[in-house]
Amino acid sequence: MIYHDVIVIGGGLSGLRAALEAHKKGADVAIISKVSPIRSHSVAAQGGINASLGADDSWKAHAWDTVKGSDYLADQDAVEILCKEAPEIVLEMDNWGTSFSRTQDGKIAQRPFGGAGFPRTCYAGDKTGHNLLYTLQEQVLKAGIKVYPEWMVTRLVTDGGRCTGFVAINIFNSEPDVFKAKITVIATGGYGRIYKRSTNSIINRGFGIGLAYRAGVPLQDMEFVQFHPTTLWDSNILITEGVRGEGGYLYNKNHQRFMKSYAPESIELAPRDIVARAIQTEINEGRGISNEYVYLDITHLDPQLIKERLSGIREISMDFAGVDPVKKPIPVQPGQHYSMGGILSSINGKTPMDGLYAVGECACISVHGANRLGGNSLLDTLVFGKRAGQHAAESIQDKDIPQDENLIKELENEKRFLSDLFGESGENFATVRNELKNIMQEKVGVFRNHENLEHAIEDLKNLKYRAQKIKVKSRAKSFNLELLDAIELKRMVDIAHVIATGALARQESRGAHYRTDFIERDDNNWKKHTIAYYTPQGPRLEYKDVTITSFYSEKREY
Amino acid sequence: MVTLNIKRQEDDKIWYDTFHVEEKPGMNVLEALFEIQEKLDGSLCFRFACRGAVCGSCAMLINKVPRLACKKLVGDVKKEDISSLKSDQILTSPQSSKESNDRVLIEPLPNLGVIRDLVVDMEHFYSLVDSVQPWITAEENYDKKHLIEPATQKKLEKYTNCILCAVCHGICPAATRDDKYLSPAGLARAWRFQLDPRELEKSKLQRYNIVDSPSGVWGCDLVYKCVAVCPKKVPPTKAIKQMRRQISEK
Repeated sequence: MIYHDVIVIGGGLSGLRAALEAHKKGADVAIISKVSPIRSHSVAAQGGINASLGADDSWKAHAWDTVKGSDYLADQDAVEILCKEAPEIVLEMDNWGTSFSRTQDGKIAQRPFGGAGFPRTCYAGDKTGHNLLYTLQEQVLKAGIKVYPEWMVTRLVTDGGRCTGFVAINIFNSEPDVFKAKITVIATGGYGRIYKRSTNSIINRGFGIGLAYRAGVPLQDMEFVQFHPTTLWDSNILITEGVRGEGGYLYNKNHQRFMKSYAPESIELAPRDIVARAIQTEINEGRGISNEYVYLDITHLDPQLIKERLSGIREISMDFAGVDPVKKPIPVQPGQHYSMGGILSSINGKTPMDGLYAVGECACISVHGANRLGGNSLLDTLVFGKRAGQHAAESIQDKDIPQDENLIKELENEKRFLSDLFGESGENFATVRNELKNIMQEKVGVFRNHENLEHAIEDLKNLKYRAQKIKVKSRAKSFNLELLDAIELKRMVDIAHVIATGALARQESRGAHYRTDFIERDDNNWKKHTIAYYTPQGPRLEYKDVTITSFYSEKREY
Repeated sequence: MVTLNIKRQEDDKIWYDTFHVEEKPGMNVLEALFEIQEKLDGSLCFRFACRGAVCGSCAMLINKVPRLACKKLVGDVKKEDISSLKSDQILTSPQSSKESNDRVLIEPLPNLGVIRDLVVDMEHFYSLVDSVQPWITAEENYDKKHLIEPATQKKLEKYTNCILCAVCHGICPAATRDDKYLSPAGLARAWRFQLDPRELEKSKLQRYNIVDSPSGVWGCDLVYKCVAVCPKKVPPTKAIKQMRRQISEK
């Protein structure tokens, strides 16, 4: 049994930031992750991180943009914290060495982003996530924080309603071990890979969200799934909003800048939900190219600017689509990108379960509401990662070291579960997983309706049954990918079930959740958060009011 | 159809397996490996994460060249001719043949111990990189706004672009003969911090002391193989030469 005061599950931005802060505040903290921290999906974030650094900008303007962008579902107390703490958190990263792009006079450069009234997105070329992640990993290394890389956490352990640690499988030998902690922080990112088309890393299977859900912790607003408007055709690798921020245009097959008719003022720089729906509409109505994509064109921009500020995008377009964006437009289509929903979590990262915190994409605090603005997710990871780390370190003083009994019992349960998992019978995991991805893509995607969602839920119930029966054929001791695939698949189906159930119940259109049978936002009945609890029959839904401080709903026009 | 010849290893047992995979348009090597792992042999193992050449997980030897599997199209590598090579030869760039031979040879990245199949001991590589103290030792009471000239930032960027994939380590002759060699990536990272105006002078001095050794900057053969294979165009040899000059002038 391994003990630390605080253990953070996940080594992406929010996990590293939480661990670093807990360490600074004196806690014995460790990080456990299924990949080495620098391989986390944070590395793939491109466009930037928002902070009102400009003399004419203000946290209030940032907060207003965020609330409006969220289609008024964000909790405004949390949004205020996010925006107030943004400048400090960005300057802190700069002080630790993040290679932010610079203005001519040496300040951190900022670019315009969708749904923002001011160019407030700080960036490091189009590799902002990579640069932030490396900076934090360096500081974690310097601090000497213990990291357990390539461990897969498989079950949370509770004792009298308190989380006391977890069981994890060492990927190097497939043996489970038990970790005891006064506080466990889940920072495992999103679940994008339950969709066929997603910008997410292949590792983003939402397991942390599934862990909490199965342990009885509620999930919030899971039906709000962000589809990024511009992902590279077919491979769905992210093409940053920064491309439009730098002046890129969207064209359909008739060479019309179609965004003018969807968002006359903001045009390409409308928020993501609006642009994604516009592109999908163009494609659905036959104005896409090959009925599959539209063009994102930057050929009118200075090639030097492209090479300097969008070098990563240029590389990706050339490597994965054979297109040099200096010369030709980039073929793009919408794809799943981000989860606004997640484990219900407070402004200090605390979940309703004692001893359990959640931060980053796997959490729902909620600062993004029904639609996240570009540049706000990196900010979310750092601001709330830091707050959770601090709060966790402060609260360990009042907590006893957990008892071993339940931890040992769960380790035994896990061993039994694992030995039953091997066998020759049952379906192939990939068949079931591919069906899951297709169901979510086709029936719980950009456009939704009652009939499709009902079908999706029926399909998912069936998949859940089939996923239970899957057996692992490979007996390899180390890096048994098939074992991890089989374990993760069960939680992927759980998450999909919650998303589809929330989406079916919510009879309105708000932010990223668009119902073709209820096309208006309905503040009277639906200005509220969805809260989902696990039951063996499927998710049980409750609702919770949105926290309002100073911003009231208006019609959302761009 | 394309044929993948994959070097397998479990404990002391080493063998080669041949798999035939249906080649889809635009398929890269990583996708081909997933085809095998999902449909033909669930026991095959390799590392992966982003599939977009930014995370650095999937470095391996493809037709004797260390590369990222996600970044190489099957359609391109199957045209490469490696029939005349000796088994221990490693290349910076493959020979191209006119006709496709429809075969691709996949082996683990050299110069690191094999854990199983295509998974190598990256912890060893990380420990080398970490020994150059790759972090900024900033004062906590800092002047809140650093001003950095765009030209300085661009110099930094050349080296911050490193994704620690270890492709450079896999082709480095110094790493082959000296398992304590700090590796091209480690030395490039060291230089990244020496270039940074935010880093304290005393920490830079300490870092020069670390790399000033036969397993540091003086271990390099200056053959630019790392520069040739880096998927992110990072030039470690250039960094090593700069540090040699700085150390010699002190």
